[in-house]
Amino acid sequence: MWTRLLRPASEAGGVPDSVLTLTAIILLLRPLEVWWLVPFVLALACLSLVLRPVRRAPITWMLVAGLVAIRIAAVWPLSDNHIYLLAYWCLAIGLSLSGPAPAATLTTGSRWLLGAAFGLAVLWKGVLSPDYMDGRFFRVTLLTDERFADASLVFGGLSREQMALNRQFLEPLPEGAELLDSPPFVEPPRLRAFAAAATWGGLVLEALVAVLNLIPVEGRLLAARHASLLAFCVTTYALAPVAGFGWLIATMGLAQCRVNQRALHGAYVGVFVLILLYSEFPWTGVLADLTER
Amino acid sequence: MTLRAALPVGLLLAVAAAQLTLARTAGLSPWKGGGFGMFSTTDDTGRRRVRVFVSAPERSEETAIPPSLEDLARRAAVLPTDAALSRLARGVVERERRYRRPVDTVRIETWRIDYAPGTLAASTRRTRDFVYRVDTAAAPRQ
Repeated sequence: MWTRLLRPASEAGGVPDSVLTLTAIILLLRPLEVWWLVPFVLALACLSLVLRPVRRAPITWMLVAGLVAIRIAAVWPLSDNHIYLLAYWCLAIGLSLSGPAPAATLTTGSRWLLGAAFGLAVLWKGVLSPDYMDGRFFRVTLLTDERFADASLVFGGLSREQMALNRQFLEPLPEGAELLDSPPFVEPPRLRAFAAAATWGGLVLEALVAVLNLIPVEGRLLAARHASLLAFCVTTYALAPVAGFGWLIATMGLAQCRVNQRALHGAYVGVFVLILLYSEFPWTGVLADLTER
Repeated sequence: MTLRAALPVGLLLAVAAAQLTLARTAGLSPWKGGGFGMFSTTDDTGRRRVRVFVSAPERSEETAIPPSLEDLARRAAVLPTDAALSRLARGVVERERRYRRPVDTVRIETWRIDYAPGTLAASTRRTRDFVYRVDTAAAPRQ
């Protein structure tokens, strides 16, 4: 048992090295934020990047999964959902590397993890949250969440003054209080259209990813599975401020590529880098400044 | 599907089922808890808050949350269970005693912001009112 967990899995016909490398890079790009766990996770990530036997040893990924799980328990219930997905993913890698047919096991694990995560996201948005389906969530979020502010200025056609007034309007008053002169609320048709596109576009794309990952597909539908996942990453993480989720999804998609699908492999690595650029380059802010001039 | 491939997704589904239950029964924010409800509702961490009131003979006042208790307050706002609110209340009691201020009761209210359909008019709503008596066990009150 222990020797199997410590023995590096062979690369021939096994899990592609790029999947393991990108997962280690995710750990380095977004450390776990709990000071007494960070050194261990960073050390494991560094060692796995530099030393092939560490990278391909099942125990490495099971240890990382355990550390991530400890992090989730330590800050319960404040962890974001991609931290949970990271724990499941590292566990999936560790289990795959420790058994027969590691590549096939990880491909299946990736498919089911993506299908379940996206299915649950669709359940919350489409069924359990009435303020999503009637458009309230994005109408409010595009105005109140600072991380979406520049995109609202650029695509919603708002001015900074209108944005400030809208934020005032969306500030709640103490219970029972009422303003004599309520601040005006300005919602240009472009902003309403942007909110509607984010609401319905996001839901449809997530539902597509969920369905195509949950059902066994071949041929064109298999291509559609990858296309929907790549499209989700390219569009969502251009605006959504959760690069960690995007990197994880791109890496899980990469794990589903076959050895001969070089272009697809390259597309997932490209999307991983694109999400990195999205997160580090404030492109909507630059566009907002340009459009104001 | 082999057991090795099924175990991670089985864990995911078990955690998600627990999250859904807590969201429906204990007021857990859909954004948290591993159920993948992020970006689905305005009921997120930033739109939840707690208010803390301290009382003793000749004293009854609302107290600001100090930085040392912010983490406990955030956890209580996201999942306002009796246990989380009691932990925050105990933190408040310890702090008051450190500053030699009398405290008999700590009352904690949890609030969230709602937006009206259509107009988006914002209003606040109290979701819990919890009383912690210093010398006795915590006494929850709705």
